[in-house]
Amino acid sequence: MTDAEVEACVARGQQGDEGAILELFHYMYPHVAKLVNANLPGKESAEDLVQKACVKAITNLRQFSGKVPFLHWVSRIAVNTCLNQIRHEKRRPEVRLADLTEEEAGVVENLATRPNELDASQSLAARELVEKLLQGLRPPDRLLMRLMYLEGHSQEEISALTGWNGPLIKVRAFRARSQLRKRYALLMKEQP
Amino acid sequence: MNRIDDQLNRLFRAAIHPDAGAATPPFGMEARVLAAWREAAQAPAGFWDMRLLVRGLIVAAALMVLSLWPAVQSQSGNPAADYQELADATVQVDSAP
Repeated sequence: MTDAEVEACVARGQQGDEGAILELFHYMYPHVAKLVNANLPGKESAEDLVQKACVKAITNLRQFSGKVPFLHWVSRIAVNTCLNQIRHEKRRPEVRLADLTEEEAGVVENLATRPNELDASQSLAARELVEKLLQGLRPPDRLLMRLMYLEGHSQEEISALTGWNGPLIKVRAFRARSQLRKRYALLMKEQP
Repeated sequence: MNRIDDQLNRLFRAAIHPDAGAATPPFGMEARVLAAWREAAQAPAGFWDMRLLVRGLIVAAALMVLSLWPAVQSQSGNPAADYQELADATVQVDSAP
């Protein structure tokens, strides 16, 4: 869909055209699913959250003013839905080597002993290890780390997605990164 | 960059999701989203429309201020005015033929 097509579709949707609503849903779905799945990995409720974010966007379509691209507006709704979901999750105080699976411990060992990039076969274990490390952060910091390092969004993109201003993003990123560093250093200390 | 930062960066690079989202919605989601949209579209927007409600509250507040204004004005003058007026009235009644 080109920008002009999206704009026309949104205008028809705002007038109550059901066909346009369907087109918009199919247009936004992959984007919302990607954001939700990346921010809530392994969660069974991810599909419900994708639906919730899509329903929010569709039912509030009249509030879309067109000042920002449609997908940015939808992304912000999706990110806020995720943030609301993870806000009440408990933080794990620390990760010990004994808590890791064999594969995750292998990743830690490889990182400590070899200077090169991890093998592609260790990607899944690396993702799980990152998730364990992120569990110790506050939910907004966790979301920020995922957006920044796992999805590669720039500060401006994160600002557009979350509504946080630049200094707030910088402060949160600094704080989250130093906490991650501490948690990872603790793992390294336990490394034989 | 220190050793820990370097290792963390390599860990993050290895953990990047190639593509975490599916391209097509699961069965039934389209119908559920459409049903939610229809329900929201049919909800009465007249009386409970938030903007209308807010406007109504502003008008009501303005009317309250306007109706209370004369009373506030009369109170804000001499606080003993009522007593003096009452005393004058008593004197007038007493001295009346």
